[in-house]
Amino acid sequence: MIIKFRLDGRDVSVEVEPNELLLNVLRDKLGVKAPKYSCGIGECGACTVLLDGEPVLSCLTLAVDANGREVTTASGIKGEEAEMLMKAFAEEGAVQCGFCTPGMFVMSYALLHEKKRPTEEEIREYLRGNLCRCTGYVNIVRGIEKVVEMGGKK
Amino acid sequence: MGSTNYKFIGRDIPRRDAEIKTKGLLEFSSDIYVPGMLYGRIVYSPYPFADIEEIDTRDAESMGATVITPKDVPRKLFNIRLVSVEEVTFKDWNVLTMSPRYLGDPVAAVAAPSEYLAQKAAEAIKFKFKKIYRPVLDAFEAMSLDAPAIRERILKGEQEVTVSKNVGAELNFSEGDIDRAEKESDVVLERSFKTNRRYHFQLETKASLCVPEVDGRLSVYTTTQTIHNTRILIGQVFGIPLSRISVKRIPIGGSFGSSIQTNLVTLISVALCLKSGKPVKIVLTREEDMYDHADYEMHLKLRIGAKRTGELTFGEMHNIMDIGAHQVQAYPLLGTALGWFVSLYKWKNILYEGKAVYTTKTPSCAFRGYGAPQVSWAVESLMDELAEELKMDPLVLKLKNYVGLGDVFWGQGPTVRSIIRSDGVKELVERGKQLIGWDKRQPPSAKKGRFRNGIGFGRSFHTSGAGGPISGEVIDYSGATLKLNEDGSLDYITALQDHGGGTLEAHAKIIAEELGVPPHLINIVPADTSITVYDVNTHASRGTYVGGEAARRAAQMVKSKVFEAATRMLPKAVNPEAFKIRYDEALEQAVVYIEGMKDMKVTLAEIAKASWQRNWGTIAATVSYRATSAPPTFTVFFVEVEVDTYTGTVKPKRVVAGADLGTPINPKLAEGQLHGGFVMGWSMAYLEDTPYQRETGELMNRGMAVDYKIPTFEDAPSIEDFKVIFANTYEPTGPFGAKGLGEAALNPVAGAVANAIYNAIGVRFYTLPITPEKILESLSGGE
Ligand code: FES
Ligand code: FES
Repeated sequence: MIIKFRLDGRDVSVEVEPNELLLNVLRDKLGVKAPKYSCGIGECGACTVLLDGEPVLSCLTLAVDANGREVTTASGIKGEEAEMLMKAFAEEGAVQCGFCTPGMFVMSYALLHEKKRPTEEEIREYLRGNLCRCTGYVNIVRGIEKVVEMGGKK
Repeated sequence: MGSTNYKFIGRDIPRRDAEIKTKGLLEFSSDIYVPGMLYGRIVYSPYPFADIEEIDTRDAESMGATVITPKDVPRKLFNIRLVSVEEVTFKDWNVLTMSPRYLGDPVAAVAAPSEYLAQKAAEAIKFKFKKIYRPVLDAFEAMSLDAPAIRERILKGEQEVTVSKNVGAELNFSEGDIDRAEKESDVVLERSFKTNRRYHFQLETKASLCVPEVDGRLSVYTTTQTIHNTRILIGQVFGIPLSRISVKRIPIGGSFGSSIQTNLVTLISVALCLKSGKPVKIVLTREEDMYDHADYEMHLKLRIGAKRTGELTFGEMHNIMDIGAHQVQAYPLLGTALGWFVSLYKWKNILYEGKAVYTTKTPSCAFRGYGAPQVSWAVESLMDELAEELKMDPLVLKLKNYVGLGDVFWGQGPTVRSIIRSDGVKELVERGKQLIGWDKRQPPSAKKGRFRNGIGFGRSFHTSGAGGPISGEVIDYSGATLKLNEDGSLDYITALQDHGGGTLEAHAKIIAEELGVPPHLINIVPADTSITVYDVNTHASRGTYVGGEAARRAAQMVKSKVFEAATRMLPKAVNPEAFKIRYDEALEQAVVYIEGMKDMKVTLAEIAKASWQRNWGTIAATVSYRATSAPPTFTVFFVEVEVDTYTGTVKPKRVVAGADLGTPINPKLAEGQLHGGFVMGWSMAYLEDTPYQRETGELMNRGMAVDYKIPTFEDAPSIEDFKVIFANTYEPTGPFGAKGLGEAALNPVAGAVANAIYNAIGVRFYTLPITPEKILESLSGGE
């Protein structure tokens, strides 16, 4: 069947099988490679995207569920907050190999939308489904906290 | 000797690739798609230990898939890792095999235009078995007389050798007189330790894309820590001249040692590409990846002796390594495990026996630390026990006996020796002790109640590279090309892979410092094997120390050529040596000048332009560099844990991580290495293992990520409770005084955690991981 949705700010339409996963359709058919395959069973968060603004694991989401909706990947997140987050990630050393990072970015962005001033504990809880094998998480938390602090001053 | 005089070294400069990585725009191997590409799938045997009679590919082929079986690939044995010299390289690998020896042993492979079709075709392959054996899952069982031979004949270099009792390689060593030393000892301790068989769980599963170019050359995009060794192996296995193969340096989504070797998935994608004539891409599933590689499981029996004064008298280590079904670097690791042991403390008299034993499990390969986390855990645990026996503070005992400044160091094994020229251990211990509050530490007997806190200390090191003054058995050199562009910017070309720690950006800073050019004007050129000189591998924490020094030397050569050109432009100068170069803040670029003379000054950009306009030629340099030492980066960890005696769970409460890495090139990124190292080491001590099912030889977790827990955000200590300190040292042989850090950041952690758990509950554990179940069991027995 053919599904239509908004992907990172553009309209797309694509032919999919009813059992096809959003992750595969994004990567193999639509050339958007920000969501990564790492476990395929909802354990790592590397494939996280926003579906109508809510974070979902695209490896567990059927492509047909995106029909008529809005999908935003790490490549499509824009705006001042996103810029701040990206900069803070770079400055704080939150990015090492970078394979987990697009998922982390989507999730951190979603967190900052849900909660303006999350505590360290809340940050850790919100992001606990996103695995990173390189950073030990410390600098990712620092990056997010930096944006939280700057948000406070704004 | 701090870094205060440096313009770029030691200052935090945000990584240039951070933004494209965050947006997901940087492409890893699995992100590359080319037109007309086929998807490959690997077919595995359903039995871990069997001999196949026949493979039926007809159904798969009738679906239109390209199929390869063992008869389509060369039969000659090889080793997937090429770091050791040929004579000591043990070869027992084929691309595909009729004699699977573990469940992830590839026996066939298919390629088809869609992943779906490829999967269907893979499922349609049928086998007829000649013989099915019971899996052999234990190293000691494998060495027993009635165990079936997992391998009979393998190659050592070009020589055929017979494997007896499943022992794939052996290494024994002795120095001094153990018997006499034992007689002179006041205390002798003997303990047996067993380490866990951890899985790397790098976030990117292994992948490979092989593309046949129109002129018949092959381009390969694959997960690897070494593009050159990958090219050489493809050349050797398939008999293709290296000039016809180009392996691209592609970002890697973590590796931790799992791609030091050329992965079978790479060779299989090449084989499928050669047969189909089309580009073939294979991305391993997480389950396949978990069956592809694991750490070495070590059974370490240690005996050590000491006098009442705390002076060590001897050290003995018996190391039985369960290496799984193949040798990757079993033999060199036997030497390195010994190297870690003898380079931790001055045992004076040494006895070592090492055996690498085949089992029908996933092949073991290097895992960050290369045996040092295992050996350090055992030694640091035992040294704490010895301190208790001697009624000494473990810090005092350890500082008294550690191998440090001026001592001979051979961490990378008996053939790689050099002298230690920088050592910050004492400083780190002193400072760390204050930060954690060591002097207030109470003995386990003083702890009461449900939650019990304990403080532990562990120390270790890792080498920076595997170089040395003589050639030895390890290949270790790097290369760099640097060219000055016509506008004064630079192109830096290297084969060295960056695992994500920021190694290549550190190189850019080293070049920047040497030439006074701001780092953003130095292009780190996307590279492949065709345009780079050889680099052995990004392993052994050598990226900054060896690769960075190669880059610095290239910059130095460029600099002397720049001075020659400056002499042409400012002919009053007597010779090129009159010049200096520095970064000019006002001009925001490099200037070449003579000290104290205002008019004798020209910018690097002007020199570059003149060289071009006046036909002097491009200023460029290529170097190949071998380090004559492999200096240790010392690390110490102080860890406070909290043990819940009702549930057995342990939490890391406070951490002080100290590193003597010489000059930190990027302090923030160096801190990040220590954060990551701690969490990985924590997980080694507490969480990870890959046990097998006895009957079927399967992994208990069947390769599923749900059943292989690694730490999450919630398992790490809070920011405030994680302190990092750097020793104020300078390594005279390193680029601007730097040493490597990646592995040292992990090595002492499990030892420190184990000692902290002991300090909390008064129980020692000799098997990793120290799980809540084991803790509960030990407590219920004791109380
Ligand atoms: S790939 Fe989706 S959660 Fe891991
Ligand atoms: S940065 Fe490598 S997995 Fe997170």
